[in-house]
Amino acid sequence: MKDTPLSNCERDFLLKAIEEKKRLDGRQTYDYRKIKITFGTDYGCCFVDLGKTRVMAQVSCELVAPKENRPNEGIMFFNIELSPMASPAFEQGRQSELSVKLNRQLERCLRNSKCIDTESLCVVSGEKVWQIRVDVHMLNHDGNLMDAASIAAITALCHFRRPDVGIQGDEVTVYSPEERDPIPLSIYHMPISVSFSFFQQGTYLLVDPCEREERVMDGLLMIAMNKHREICSIQSSGGIMLLKDQVMRCSKIASVKVSEITELISKALDNDKKARKAGGRCGFAESIPQERITALKMDETPVEMMDVTDRANDIVQKAEAPPQTVPSPVVPAPGVGQVGQGLQNTWGLEEQEESDNSGEEQEEIKTQMKEKKDENRGGDVVEISDSEEEEVVILHPEAPDKLPKNTGSGSHQKGAATTKKRQKK
Amino acid sequence: MQLSTIPPRSYVISKSPSAAKQMTSSTLDRLLFLHGGGVMEVCGSSSVTLREFGCEQSLLSRPDGSASFIQGDTSVLAGVYGPAEVKVSKEIYDRATLEVLIQPKVGLPSVRERSQEQCVRETCEASLLLSLHPRSSLTLILQVLHDDGSLLSCFLNAACMALMDAGLPMSCLFCGVTCAIDTDGQIITDPTAAQEKESRALMTFAIDSTERRVLMSSTKGSFSVHELQQCIAVSQKASEKIFQFYRDSVRRRYSKTL
Amino acid sequence: MAGLELLSDQGYRLDGRKATELRKVQARMGVFAQADGSAYLEQGNTKALAVVYGPHEMRGSRSRTLHDRAIINCQYSMATFSTAERKRRPHGDRKSTEMSLHLKQTFEAAVMTQLYPRSQIDIYVKILQSDGGNYSVCVNAATLAVIDAGIPMRDYVCACTVGFVDETPLADLCYAEESGGVSSLALALLPRGGQIALLQMDARLHQDHLETLIEAAMTACKGVSKVLDEVVRQHLQEVSVLTGE
Repeated sequence: MKDTPLSNCERDFLLKAIEEKKRLDGRQTYDYRKIKITFGTDYGCCFVDLGKTRVMAQVSCELVAPKENRPNEGIMFFNIELSPMASPAFEQGRQSELSVKLNRQLERCLRNSKCIDTESLCVVSGEKVWQIRVDVHMLNHDGNLMDAASIAAITALCHFRRPDVGIQGDEVTVYSPEERDPIPLSIYHMPISVSFSFFQQGTYLLVDPCEREERVMDGLLMIAMNKHREICSIQSSGGIMLLKDQVMRCSKIASVKVSEITELISKALDNDKKARKAGGRCGFAESIPQERITALKMDETPVEMMDVTDRANDIVQKAEAPPQTVPSPVVPAPGVGQVGQGLQNTWGLEEQEESDNSGEEQEEIKTQMKEKKDENRGGDVVEISDSEEEEVVILHPEAPDKLPKNTGSGSHQKGAATTKKRQKK
Repeated sequence: MQLSTIPPRSYVISKSPSAAKQMTSSTLDRLLFLHGGGVMEVCGSSSVTLREFGCEQSLLSRPDGSASFIQGDTSVLAGVYGPAEVKVSKEIYDRATLEVLIQPKVGLPSVRERSQEQCVRETCEASLLLSLHPRSSLTLILQVLHDDGSLLSCFLNAACMALMDAGLPMSCLFCGVTCAIDTDGQIITDPTAAQEKESRALMTFAIDSTERRVLMSSTKGSFSVHELQQCIAVSQKASEKIFQFYRDSVRRRYSKTL
Repeated sequence: MAGLELLSDQGYRLDGRKATELRKVQARMGVFAQADGSAYLEQGNTKALAVVYGPHEMRGSRSRTLHDRAIINCQYSMATFSTAERKRRPHGDRKSTEMSLHLKQTFEAAVMTQLYPRSQIDIYVKILQSDGGNYSVCVNAATLAVIDAGIPMRDYVCACTVGFVDETPLADLCYAEESGGVSSLALALLPRGGQIALLQMDARLHQDHLETLIEAAMTACKGVSKVLDEVVRQHLQEVSVLTGE
């Protein structure tokens, strides 16, 4: 699906506003939008809201063989998933330019800056190391995905606990969280990316562009820094021409923003730690704002089970048994196999199923199906959801000769099985 | 790490790699959180419970409709785009093309997600009035936020809420209920991941709001016809609670405009 | 990684250069007859070939056409024999896709694309031998190829990689230095205006050192631009002799 294009009017308006040092959401030039960090139920799951932009990061780990050239270092893997939920322009499973750009920038920001002690992830040198995988899902795209992704990724890494391992002789034991407390990763520093967008050939500069602003900008400069004022990566993009002074100015702004964000992250991590220690429940469920009228929660509710057994019995009793006898197959000539001819069709027709589902049953079908209706409702639809292709099989008897006390669809299948056997004979 | 001193030999990992993978979730916290009255005798008259559930609508700004649905700890986020322009290759001349995408939390979508996508798609197709929007596309994206059992039913509920939020015309609403039958033959509705693991059979039904009919069913494991019928009956009962919740949340949502 | 001494006490680097010294740059323009523009450039042991086609009509998907300027299509690839270990895929992985993107971005800034609306310019660059500074060598080679094709540019685009060791910026890193854990910065410059077309930095560096590093990179780029200018002038002389003027 294509993204809604931006009209010339909107473009002109935005640029005009930027020239007058005004932004659509009332922010100042160097202001960030509101950042909200929440955690999921798991360790290593983090949600970041940057204004309306929303991302989720999940860290997971796995024991793998190390890379040949680095036998005693763990492996870091980053993946930013541009889910079509975030924007209609994102397509699933396609490596777009944006996705390559974001992925590489995150890799550079977190892997190349060596913010995680990969050597501590080694279990047995040259044999087993932990692979830490960071999946970042974009949930809502309202600009500045990179900053949101970097905050989410580093916070999730800080929050993550990997299971403890023990080595006895040749055996490596992975302890479950019940046996031994999981261990946090050792993180040296927290690089955070800050994006600057440039307008009108670099004359105007904005921090944390929203989606509309990103559409009219000329170029972007992303600076990743940590709170020790060390630059971890710089990347300019989008065909702008920068001057050295601009870069220097941006790096100064970035250092201020990074220290603010770092503080926010540590505060969020602290709060979560306390909440978990207190034994309270935490997770996405708790982060739903109760006061909003768009949200509602309901407590655990019992389900009435009074007449369930009776009803089930009823349905089973009423169900008609499959025919025990099968019309003999017509064999046109000896040695000729035939499929689908000469016999009456005992398989459910697709039309029936559809009309059944849509609830707009036509009268004719209704009368025809009256006898079978109970049964149909009873769940004759046997679905094999494990297979790749879904098969919907509806079995119902063609000849309604009643056999007492023979039950349900299970025996339908039995009937079918016996049919085959007889045919073989 | 000074590990080079250990002789490199074949190392046995006591737990399977999949076990290591699941370490991401601190499942133990959840295990302790079994419901007091969650399990019951089928033939008795006591009750089966649904975990507490919650929902938030239009929480994302980009999609035309969005909702998050929570059942216990299982949470799913759904977003709907459409009706919108459709790719020529996917165009259907007399109705809208519905596409359902499920995004797992870790890794890329696999066969399991594809099969769940199909279950959800068929249910939505049955209830949506697609013929009102010919030659257009509807996209429903479901993102797993946390899996703690009954995931498919949570997908269905989130999908229905998101479709409602998008204001798409539907012939009826639908909801999903998951039932597990444990080794003693007891029916558990809305099972947690731990209960799912111990169960003998697992069934998920999509139930419509008008006549409480089964729109879709997905089953796993072995069970008798009788048990199936019982589960359906239980699900139909449970669906009433969920539809009441739908009603309450929609009423709350529009309480200020009315 | 600490094993290698990247800068000796006497101020010499691994390959005997001084800190601010560039590697030897050799280049030829117009190496292919079929292409609209082409160039071959060696910078030390890194060797690159660049070919330019266009500006021509849009090919492939016409939907990408821009009504007010030309689009630039870049493809970066590395020959399978360019590195010590044979590469399996010459292009298409994340790193080379990113490199293509960067090249595209650099040349979008430098080429006067507004002169050719609704058209397309293709730039293909191949690394034949890799010894550090791949991005900068590609940019330098592509600049010559674009000039050879006669496409107007705002200025030469010159790129250079600089590193930072012992408080000293090192110009034009080779592979040993790049992989030795130096924080490196790649910069593409339009020397006359001092405008930065692309800036990319990996690894950690304190903010206070950024200015010196950028300064060093700009000086190095200006050095490269002199060499490129010489190559172009010489090439033009050769050509004008051949055409009998």
